Amino acid sequence: MELADKLQALALDASEALKKAADMDAITALEVRFLGRKGELTSLLRALVEIPSEERPKLGSLANEVKISIEQKILEARNRFGSAVLEAQLASEREDVTEPGIQPPSGHLHLLTQAIREITDIFARAGFVRTRYPEVEWDWYAFEALNMPADHPARDEWETFFMDAPTSKKWGKMILTPHATSGTARTLAEHKPPIRAINISKNYRRQIDITHVPMFHQFDGVYVDTGVSIAHLRGVLDYFAREFFGPDRKTRLRPFHFRFTEPSFEIDVSCGVCGGTGTLATGERCRTCKRGWLELGGAGMLHPNVLAAAGLNPEQYSGLAFGWGVERTYMMKEGMHLDDIRILYKNDLRFLQQF
Amino acid sequence: MNILISYDWLKEYVELKESPETFAARVSLSGPGIERLYPQGALLDKVVVGQINEIKPHPNAEKLRLATVNAGKKFTLVCGGSNLEVNQWVAVALVGAKVRWHGEGELIELAPAEIRGVKSEGMICGANEIGLFDAFPHAEREILDLGKAIPEAKWKPGMPLAQALGLSSDTVMDIEVTSNRPDAMSLVGLAREASAILSRPFLWKPAPKIRISPAAAAKSNFKIDVKDKKLCPRFTAVKIEGVSAGPSPWWMKRRLLSAGIRPINALVDITNYVMLELSEPMHVYDAEKLEGDRLVIRTAKPGESIQALDGKTYPLDESVLVVADVAKPVAVAGVMGGEITGVTSGTTSVVFEAATFDPVSVRRTARALNLYSDAQLRFEKGLSIEAPIYALARAVELCLELCGGSVSSFVQDSSKEKYVPKKERIRFDEISALMGVPVAKKQASDILTRLGFNVHSAGRVLTASVPWWRDHDIESGRDLVEEIARVFGYGQIPARFPPGLAHQPPSQMITWEERLKTLAVGAGLTEVYSYSFTSADLQRKAGFDPDRMLRVQNELSSDFVYMRTSLLPSLLQIVSENQERFHQQELFEIAHVYFHSEKTDLPDERSQFSAVYCGYDDGWKRAKGFAEHLFQEFGIRHVEWRRLEDDLFWHPGRTAQAFVNGFLLATVGELHPRIAEAFKFEGKVALIDSPLREIAALATTKKTYEPIPPFPEAKRDLAFTVNREIDVQQLTAAMKKMEPTLRQVDWFDTYKGEGIPADKKSVAFHLTFGSPDRTLETREVDASLEKMRALLKDQFGAMIRV
Repeated sequence: MELADKLQALALDASEALKKAADMDAITALEVRFLGRKGELTSLLRALVEIPSEERPKLGSLANEVKISIEQKILEARNRFGSAVLEAQLASEREDVTEPGIQPPSGHLHLLTQAIREITDIFARAGFVRTRYPEVEWDWYAFEALNMPADHPARDEWETFFMDAPTSKKWGKMILTPHATSGTARTLAEHKPPIRAINISKNYRRQIDITHVPMFHQFDGVYVDTGVSIAHLRGVLDYFAREFFGPDRKTRLRPFHFRFTEPSFEIDVSCGVCGGTGTLATGERCRTCKRGWLELGGAGMLHPNVLAAAGLNPEQYSGLAFGWGVERTYMMKEGMHLDDIRILYKNDLRFLQQF
Repeated sequence: MNILISYDWLKEYVELKESPETFAARVSLSGPGIERLYPQGALLDKVVVGQINEIKPHPNAEKLRLATVNAGKKFTLVCGGSNLEVNQWVAVALVGAKVRWHGEGELIELAPAEIRGVKSEGMICGANEIGLFDAFPHAEREILDLGKAIPEAKWKPGMPLAQALGLSSDTVMDIEVTSNRPDAMSLVGLAREASAILSRPFLWKPAPKIRISPAAAAKSNFKIDVKDKKLCPRFTAVKIEGVSAGPSPWWMKRRLLSAGIRPINALVDITNYVMLELSEPMHVYDAEKLEGDRLVIRTAKPGESIQALDGKTYPLDESVLVVADVAKPVAVAGVMGGEITGVTSGTTSVVFEAATFDPVSVRRTARALNLYSDAQLRFEKGLSIEAPIYALARAVELCLELCGGSVSSFVQDSSKEKYVPKKERIRFDEISALMGVPVAKKQASDILTRLGFNVHSAGRVLTASVPWWRDHDIESGRDLVEEIARVFGYGQIPARFPPGLAHQPPSQMITWEERLKTLAVGAGLTEVYSYSFTSADLQRKAGFDPDRMLRVQNELSSDFVYMRTSLLPSLLQIVSENQERFHQQELFEIAHVYFHSEKTDLPDERSQFSAVYCGYDDGWKRAKGFAEHLFQEFGIRHVEWRRLEDDLFWHPGRTAQAFVNGFLLATVGELHPRIAEAFKFEGKVALIDSPLREIAALATTKKTYEPIPPFPEAKRDLAFTVNREIDVQQLTAAMKKMEPTLRQVDWFDTYKGEGIPADKKSVAFHLTFGSPDRTLETREVDASLEKMRALLKDQFGAMIRV
């Protein structure tokens, strides 16, 4: 038989064999048999050397056609089986994707840390630097420097814890600081204006009930420079209310009295439930607020005596200050539904892991 | 302090046209905060005046009767009142009225009832059933006899009782007055505020001067003697004889009741009335019980005591200022009068007192005696020495009107000094600068004038003479700005965000703490917040000594006493409290711990990080892994771990401490089994304790790039057995010194048990070899490994396994 015929026969054989191949392994075996390094096509081509050189190109090109045709048949055979195998594989790998995923390690930040971070971030954007000072503090910073001399009745409002420690001639009694404002007194004493700081601290008072815990957190902001006015205080408070509670919320000031500020204010924030109207869409009275407003905290313009106690000239500088409880502020957030402040310090994991 | 003020009463002193709601909304924004409104008419809804026409026995009950009452129309009502009489004026609750049965329990809406077979569409009320018992006390089983209760009144059948009592149009306001404004804790004071805020006429006029008849003047003998003018800068008193002390008329009772004060008798009621009106507390003595016809104001003598009007006896000492007669204390000055010299229904001769006492002394006395009163609450806030004479005149005016009698002594008046009104100054430009909005000179002056200041404006400066009722709270020119600004209206001041930025660098400690929190939460830990002060029990249970800790002097309870020196006891407590529901817990806290300082300084407060792993057999390894992760993330290098085996808190075989340059950075390990037993822990408990001052000092965000090796590295594993006492840290350090091409040594396994002698362990490492300037050949690496095997055998007696 001529080499050309042999090549044609080989193509036919391969085609028949591949048609009969029962699985992928059989196809691979046929691939080796026909096209492998020691396969049938190779061995036929070895005969090419004996063919006269003028006939070689013709036969060479035929051999190539045969090779391509076998490769084509192999590919077809593979596809024939391949899609079935793949489908079988895919079917067998089908999972219930409604099962929960595998969680990464999931810790929980305490609600207070989240609140403090939120408040810190809001004020940081406005240039207020977060500070922190001792919790065990001198009477001087907690009261004297804040225009509250000994025996002043205003001190009663602070329900102060005293330490079992000697009294300092210079600084007075050692106490647990009852408010973050003592830190503000230190900021004023330690820095030169312009001062823009927010002191967030642990505070202590002798009280425990559903709205009080003996240890709690407050933040106390201060801004001292030349020409600071009530208008600036209103600007800062409106900014905070917008950022913390939402873009529609506003604040208002009402007269109040603190020894360390003059004038002093109580700050109200407009109610998010009734939109500050005091009346719900149904016409009923809003139960969340008092006539459209919620009490937020205290603020004021720093008393000249407080600036003087910190070594700042009240003729030259003025300042604003504001501060209130972190817990209370967070409890006022819409949808928070916290009704007993003590749960924050119970450390029940069923509570902590909700956040 | 909150006070209750009747809106009708207030109208006597200031012209008001608005509704109480409008008044409250406006005044709260510029003056005292009006927190709640109580419309009075609502309280007696559907209770009407009735007159009894006929009384018949109840057919089926001996103690009940049937009364025919004209209450606009005729009703036959079943009634058990023991004092029923024909023609009597009574309070009739109609169906729908809210009553409190026999004065007890909740308010109940009255419904038609059948009582022992007789229908009754309403009831004749006892005073306690409609909330009027304080006004009209009577015996049990009696009903309220309106005619007797208010003899001066004219009654009409069917008239709503609230209207008959003058309550229907009134509203009581609950007002918060700040502690610096005792003057505003009164009707006249609040009227002044309202007049200034609303620009309405102020109607109050002082009572006429006290006059004495020439005949009485000739016999006037009553005297006062103020021994301590520092503690008593002003004392005024006057004697009135021939008084009769019956009950007060209804108009006065009603006003006292609206302020929450119980009427007693007309003389006592007058002193309370004047206090409510003028905020100047008063006292009235039964003059016949004062020995020597004298009042002496002095400090108490050792051994003296007084029975106060509350019936209790209080021992006194030299720190207490008293009002005395020639023999004994008759009042604790500014706090409470004495029982013996108090007025009774039989009193015929009285001495009225109005005075000013040192606020600090009054405050200290009240605290020392644990004795508080409406008078003391006002005195301790600081009252003007000008107030007493107005109060005394008003009390005399009311006494002569209501109790009769005549003035029988000269007005006794002792002053520490002549009163000079304070003057405060402020520049107009300072006012505008502080408010942040321009304020016209005239507007500023007008506001102060309306508030009672005497204003003088010269050029840039405003000078204000402070009215006497404000002489304690106006302390400087700055206080004038508040007065102007609040009446001007805070809502009129625009909101402006201050320009500029921060100038202080952020606190490094806070920054690292926050990073650590993020790291811990990412590693699956849950954050807790526990109290800084703990009980002694908890400290002892955890093996700490509370006696070495700083403690609170006036603790709230034994749970909050000792300032903790470690967060670990609190963490153990939290784990133990959650243990029942959570077998595995991973918690952390960052908080201060407190140590006595060496000198008389504040304690050393340090920030601490502590964490706990509960319920994992390999807990200590998890704890250590976290610490290593922390060092890695915080850029802390060259950490040396040392075993800690002699601490009572930590497991001696499973605890290590991390050091850098001799500074302790962390202790990690398992809880000592003895302490675990005390807390009854079910699983293993491991902890981390890390002082953040040291961590923050070493932590850095500085990063250094190490070039990626250009030539491939060769990896080999090495396993061998050594004595159990030899540590991985020791082996790693030694191996690194053995071979210069060895880049990295990574422990990956330790095995103890079958196939290994009991005193040995098998340890296994991944080794990485490399060179900066070429690819190492296989035989070179093999040779290095061989060298290391030999050295390990040599130095540690290692038996090579792989």
